[in-house]
Amino acid sequence: MKHNQLENILKEFHRDAYLWARQCCGFEDDLAKDVLQQSYLKILEGKATLRYPEKVKSWLFSIIRFTAIDELRKNGKWVSLEENYDSPEVEELNQETDFQKLLMKLSPMQREVLLMVFYHEMTIAQAAEILQIGLGTARTHYERGKKKLKELIELQTQAANGK
Amino acid sequence: MENEDKLIKAFFEDLKEQDRNIPIPEFPEVKVKSFPYWIPMGVAASLIIGAFLIFQRPEIPEPPADVIIISLQENEDHEQEFRIEEKAYIDIWESSTSSLLTEF
Repeated sequence: MKHNQLENILKEFHRDAYLWARQCCGFEDDLAKDVLQQSYLKILEGKATLRYPEKVKSWLFSIIRFTAIDELRKNGKWVSLEENYDSPEVEELNQETDFQKLLMKLSPMQREVLLMVFYHEMTIAQAAEILQIGLGTARTHYERGKKKLKELIELQTQAANGK
Repeated sequence: MENEDKLIKAFFEDLKEQDRNIPIPEFPEVKVKSFPYWIPMGVAASLIIGAFLIFQRPEIPEPPADVIIISLQENEDHEQEFRIEEKAYIDIWESSTSSLLTEF
């Protein structure tokens, strides 16, 4: 694919790509900008090639995710993707919905699957492709993530009503 | 299950609504490092020129054409006769008028 075509694709998905980069970087804006720049460089320099043009969004999201993981590892901020992820305590929930805080209490895999499905309107299969895991595993993260998030939202609602 | 999905969907819809206020940075100017093609081209050109110079055979000078020496000599019977010799070079050359210098 030619440089101009790739650039047009990137421009088309730029907003989604930035929001996804931000979500992959724990909602840090500056880090997200760096990650996005590096991801675009990888693509335009031909280090990442698009094999299936129909899967362009999954491809772009996958590159952004792996670039973000690399950056987080460099900064010592990467949390293991293990299933038995210990979420932080729920004590800090405020009255107002702090979406980012709630999402950060999920495991990275759960958070990413839910964001891809509910926020970026992808299928679980696409999420599995991006995360490079099996469909069954992605479904498990999806179900557990939903359950956990529901609990967190309810806790927050109770906290808000109690005050 | 449906209630759970509704709650989650509503959560993400609210998050999207909140994210509309996030300033999206402009599409970055990505400067792709172009590969310096002149380097391999220069190397290739140098190799070609080098090979041309190394394998070029030195020109071998052609041998001179045979020289035919026709001389007038006196034989045993004291008669003059022509003597014809073919040589690649002249080892002795005598001027045709040298006799004038010695005999005169």
